[in-house]
Amino acid sequence: MKNFLQAIKKYFVDLGTAIVKGDIWTKLSLVIFGAGYIGHGQVIKGLLVTALEAGIILFTGKISWPYIAKLDSLGTVQREMVLDPVTFQKVENDYDNSLLILLMGVLGIIIIAAFVFFLISNVKSNYRIQKLKEEGKHVNSFLEDLKSLVNEKFHITLLTLPSIGVIFMCILPIVFMICIAFTNYDAAHQPPSNLFTWVGMKNFINMFSSKGGGSYGYTFARLLTWTLIWAALATFTTYIGGILLALLINHENTKLKKLWRSLFVITISIPQFVTLLLISKMFSNFGIINGILSNIGVTGALQKMGWITTDYIPFMTQKGWTHVMIVLINIWIGVPYQMLSATGILLNIPSEQLESARIDGANKWQIFWKITMPYVLFITGPSLVTSFIGNINNFNVIYLLTGDYVTADASLAASNAKDVDLLITWLFRITADSPKMEYYMASVIGIFVFVVCAVLSLITFSNMIKGDREEVFR
Amino acid sequence: MKKKLVAVLMTAAMAATLAACGTEPETENTPADTNVTVAPDGETTDVVVGQGSEDAIANLIAATEGTVDLTLWCSETEAYQNVMAQLVDEFKAAYSDVDFNITIGSQSESTCKDEVLKDVEAAADVYVFADDQLNGLVEAGALQAVTTTYTYNPIEADGAGAVNAASKDGILYAYPLTATNGYFLYYDSNLLSDEDVSSWENLVAACEREGKKVAMEFSGGWYLFSFFYGAGLECNNLANDAVNVCNWNNETGLAVAKSVQDICSSDAVINLGDADTCTQVTDGNVIAAVNGTWNTGVFEAAYGDGFAATKLPTFNVNGQAVQQGSFAGYKLVGVNSYSDNLGWAMIFAEFITNEASQLKIGNATQEGPANLVAAPQIATPAIAALGAQSNFATLQRVAGNYWTPAGTLGQALYEGGLDDAGLQKALDDAVDGICAE
Amino acid sequence: MKTKKAVDMVVRHVFLALMALFWLIPIIWLVVTSFSAYPGIRTSHFFPEQWSFVNYQKLLFQPDTVCNFPAWFRNSMIIGFACCIISTLFVLMVSYAFSCMRFPSRKKLMSFSIILGMFPGVLSMIAIYFILKMFGISDSLVGLIVVYSAGSGLGFLICKGFFDTIPTSLRESAKLEGANEFTIFTQIVIPLSRPMIVYTVINSFLTPWMDFVMAKLMIRSKDPADWTVAVGLYNILQKTLLNNYFSVFCAGGVVVAIPISVLFVIMQKFYVEGITGGAVKG
Repeated sequence: MKNFLQAIKKYFVDLGTAIVKGDIWTKLSLVIFGAGYIGHGQVIKGLLVTALEAGIILFTGKISWPYIAKLDSLGTVQREMVLDPVTFQKVENDYDNSLLILLMGVLGIIIIAAFVFFLISNVKSNYRIQKLKEEGKHVNSFLEDLKSLVNEKFHITLLTLPSIGVIFMCILPIVFMICIAFTNYDAAHQPPSNLFTWVGMKNFINMFSSKGGGSYGYTFARLLTWTLIWAALATFTTYIGGILLALLINHENTKLKKLWRSLFVITISIPQFVTLLLISKMFSNFGIINGILSNIGVTGALQKMGWITTDYIPFMTQKGWTHVMIVLINIWIGVPYQMLSATGILLNIPSEQLESARIDGANKWQIFWKITMPYVLFITGPSLVTSFIGNINNFNVIYLLTGDYVTADASLAASNAKDVDLLITWLFRITADSPKMEYYMASVIGIFVFVVCAVLSLITFSNMIKGDREEVFR
Repeated sequence: MKKKLVAVLMTAAMAATLAACGTEPETENTPADTNVTVAPDGETTDVVVGQGSEDAIANLIAATEGTVDLTLWCSETEAYQNVMAQLVDEFKAAYSDVDFNITIGSQSESTCKDEVLKDVEAAADVYVFADDQLNGLVEAGALQAVTTTYTYNPIEADGAGAVNAASKDGILYAYPLTATNGYFLYYDSNLLSDEDVSSWENLVAACEREGKKVAMEFSGGWYLFSFFYGAGLECNNLANDAVNVCNWNNETGLAVAKSVQDICSSDAVINLGDADTCTQVTDGNVIAAVNGTWNTGVFEAAYGDGFAATKLPTFNVNGQAVQQGSFAGYKLVGVNSYSDNLGWAMIFAEFITNEASQLKIGNATQEGPANLVAAPQIATPAIAALGAQSNFATLQRVAGNYWTPAGTLGQALYEGGLDDAGLQKALDDAVDGICAE
Repeated sequence: MKTKKAVDMVVRHVFLALMALFWLIPIIWLVVTSFSAYPGIRTSHFFPEQWSFVNYQKLLFQPDTVCNFPAWFRNSMIIGFACCIISTLFVLMVSYAFSCMRFPSRKKLMSFSIILGMFPGVLSMIAIYFILKMFGISDSLVGLIVVYSAGSGLGFLICKGFFDTIPTSLRESAKLEGANEFTIFTQIVIPLSRPMIVYTVINSFLTPWMDFVMAKLMIRSKDPADWTVAVGLYNILQKTLLNNYFSVFCAGGVVVAIPISVLFVIMQKFYVEGITGGAVKG
C-alpha cells in the first residue's frame, strides 16, 4: 500500500518536474501533443501524435460528448411517433435512448481517461527527449523508433491489438453492466421506447432486505450456499475421478492405453450442450431411464421403501434427487477432461525420483503416496482454484439440465429462482426467463459473483505472479 | 400520446371521407365505424378503427422506390412456414408493381415477445405472437397501433373475443389471426365414454380402471389457472398492468386446492409438459389430456378412430360440481412500430390476416380462424371442443409475476401430502408472489 | 507372482470396460437414436424398433425452414477457423509479452487481466450485443468472430506458464547473435511451443461449436441459414419441434462429433502436453 502511494506520488512529481523544467517545446506539448517531438527533431512522430490527439478530440466533441452530457439523467425525451395514415410517412421525435447514452457515455469517459493518461506520459516523454538533447545524447530517429517496436518495445506491438479487443469486449461491457446495477433498467424501462435512470443504492438494499417483490435476500443466501457446495463438490469429484482414471489407464499392467483414453475422450468431443440436453431427456420423468427402471422393478422397490411417491423417479424434477443427479452428471462430463490433463502430469513425473525411490526399496503404495500424489497435487493445486471458479460460473450444466425443474418453494419462485440454480443461472433467468427482465438485479448478483471469484483468484495467482517463481524452471 | 392518437384518427376520418370509394359499401358513408365488443367475462372495450382509402395504397405504391424489405416471424412448425410462404407469394402477386424481398423467420409465437424486446429495432417488421404478450409489447412500444385499416376492418371481420384480446385501452394494437390458442380435453373415445370425461372424478376412476393415465401440466401457471377460475376466483391485472389481483387464498381457494390435490393423488393423473405429453400419448400411456389445438395431429395419430375432444371436465369443490375454466388464447399479428417500411408492413399484416388467408392458415394448421366467416369452415373435433369450452374461458390478462409462483403452487399440489394448514400456507405464499409489485 | 499379475490385469480391464461402457451409454444412445425411423423421443426401448437413414438424409440433404444443417455447419466452420487464427495469435502475443519481455507495470497488468476474466460473461452479453450493433456487425458472422476472439488475449495464463519453461539462455544467445525480439518470438519461441499452439487452436476452434447462449443472443436472424450448429440444434429441441426432430438432433450431434473426435484423437498427445506444459508452472 505504501509503495503504491509512493508510486502515485512519484507519478505526479515527475509530471510537475517535466512541466516546470521543460523548455517551451515541452510546455507546448501540453496543448499540441506533437510540439515537443517536432521541436526536438522528431517530426514524423510529432505529426502522428498530433493527428491522434486531433482524432480523439474530434471523436469526443462530435460523437461521444452529446451522450456524456446526458449521463446524469440518462435521457429525458421519450420516443413519440406518429404515422400519417394517408401517406404512410412516420414522424419521429428526436428521442433519447438510455442504453446508448450509458454505453457511449462510458466509452467516451474511458477514452477521455485514456487521453489524460496519454497527455501526461506524452509530456514526460517530451521532457526526456529534451534532456537527452541537452546532455548531447543520441535522439532516436523515426526509423529507430519503429525498430524499437520490434525489439525492446516489442511488448507494445504485441499487446496493442489484444488490448483493444479486451477494452471493447470485456472492459466496456463490464463497466456498463456494473452501472446497470445502479439503475432501474427492466422490462418497464426498456429502451428505445422507454427510458431508465439512476436509482442509487436501492437495488443493493433490495437484495439484502426481505421485503419488496421477491424475497431476494432469502434467495441469495440459499443459492449462494448451494453454489459454494456445488462448486466444491463438482471440483473435488471430477478432480479425484480424473486422477484415479488416469492412474488406472497409465498403469503398467493396462494394455491398449491409447484406446481406453480415446474411448473417454469421445465423450468430450460431442458438444456439451448436445450431451447435456440428451442426458436431461434420458433422465426426464418419462424418459428412457425411468422406462427401463420401472420395467425391471427398481421404481416399484423404491416406492415400497418410501423414497418416492410418484410412479417414476423424479431425477430432474424434485429437489434432493436433482441436486445429486447434477453432481453425478457433472462427473460424467468433467472426468475425461481431468483424466487428460492428469495423464500429462503423470507422464511428466521426473523419473529419477521414481528410480531412486525404487532403489531405496519403497513399495508401490509408498511410491504413490510419497511421490506421485504430492507431485500431482503440487502441480495441479492452482488449477483446482481455477476449476472451482469455473464451477461457480458453470452455466451450461445447470441451465441445460434443469429446464424442466419447477421449484416447490414459493419464496424462491417469487424471485424467479429454482432450488438447483447457481447464482449465475439465477441472474440469467431474471433477465431472460422472467417477464419483468430485471437487469438491475441480475447486475447486482453479477457483481457479487465477480467479487467472490476475483478475491479467490487473486489470492491464488498473486502467489504465482509475485516473487521469482517465474524463473524457477529456467 | 392519447391526444396524438385522436389526431391520427381525425386525419384518418377526413382522409376516408375525402377519398372514400365504393369498394366497401358498408363503410362508404361512415368514415370511422364504432364497434363495441364484449369480452367473455363481461368487460367492455370500445375499439375504433378508421377506414383508410384505396388511394392511400395507390399512393404508397407510387411512392415506393426500389426493393421493399420485410421480415415476418411466425411459428416454426412446418405447416405454418409452408402456408406463410404461400401467402407471401400471393401477396407479391397482389402487389406486383412493387418489388418485395420478404423473409420468413421461424419464431415460436409463445416466446415472441422476449425475442422482439431483446432489440426492437432489429426485430421483424411483422410478427405473430400469443395474445398474453400484448400488454408487454405495447408497453415497450413495439406495436404499431392499428388506427386505420385499408383492405378490411378487423373489428367487423373478426370475433369479438379476438378483437378484445388484440386491444388495450380502446385501441386495437394487432390483427387477430387465430382464435383457438386455448386448451380443452382430448381423449380416446374407444376407452372413455362421454360420462367418463364429464368430471375429473369419473375421469380419474376410468383411467384407473383402464390402467392408463390422464395428463395435464399442473405445474404450469397457464393450466393451473383453470381450476381456480372455474371456481369463480380471480387473478388478473386488469386494474393495474404491472400488478396482479388474486384471491386464491380465500376459503373457496382452499377448497379448490384441496380438490386439485385430491385429483393429483391418484396414480392415474400425471403432470406432463407439452413435449412429454406428446411422447406419452404416442406411446399409448395417456388416454386423456388437457392440451391445445397445436397438438391435434399427435392425438389424432395416436387415438385413431377413437380420437375425440370435449370441453374440460367438472371438478368437486365443497361437494359441488364446478366446471373447470380456462384461458382463451388468440394468435395475433403485430406490426413493429420501428419498422422501416411501416406502410407495407401494415398492408402485409392485413393481407395475411384477411378472410381468405385465415381460411388457408386454418386449413393448413388445423387452428380455428378468428375471422367470423372463415371460422365455421374449419370444423374439427378440437375446434368444436374449444368452442364449447369458450363459454368458461377468460382472456389471459396477468402480469409477469403470475407465472413462476403459480407453477410452483401447481407443483406443490401435484406432489401432494399437504394438510389444510399446509395448503393454506402454499396458497398464501403463491398469492404473495403473484401479487408482488 | 505371475497369477497375481494376471488377476490384477483382468480386474483392471474389466473395471475399465465397465467404466467405459458407463461413459459411452449416452453416446451409444445418441448414435442409435440417430438411426431411428421414429422422429420423436423413444422412451421404452433403448435400441430403435426400426432402423433408417432418414434422419441423416433430412439433416444433410433436405434443409427445411427450421433445420438447415449444411448452412449451420458452414457458418460454424468459418467462425471456427477465423477464431482459431485470431485467438491463437492473440494468446501467443500476450503470453510472449508477459513471459519474455520485462516492462514497467507488467505484473499489475497481469493481475488486472486475471480479475477481468472473472466477470460472469453471461451478464455482459447484452452490452456486447449493443457494442456490436454500434459497429454495425451484430447479426453477422463477423460479429460472432469478434465476440469469440476479441477477448481471447485474457486466456494467456496456461500459455505463459509454458513460455516460462523455455530456458532464458536460448533467448540470450540469440540476442547476442543480433536477433531482435520479433525474430526470437517467431523463430525460436513459436517453433518450440507446438503443443501449446495445438492446445489453443483446438480450444478456440471448438468455441463456436459449443456455445449457444452467446450465439443465440448475437444472431437475431430467424432464418435458419444464418445460424451456427449450436444455435440450430438447440432450436430444434424446443417443445413444438421436439417430437418431429429429436432423432434429427441426434444425427446432428453425431455429425458434429465426427470431425471433432478425429481432431481430438489425433491431437491427444499435443493436447495433453499443451495442458500440462502450462500446468507445470501454474
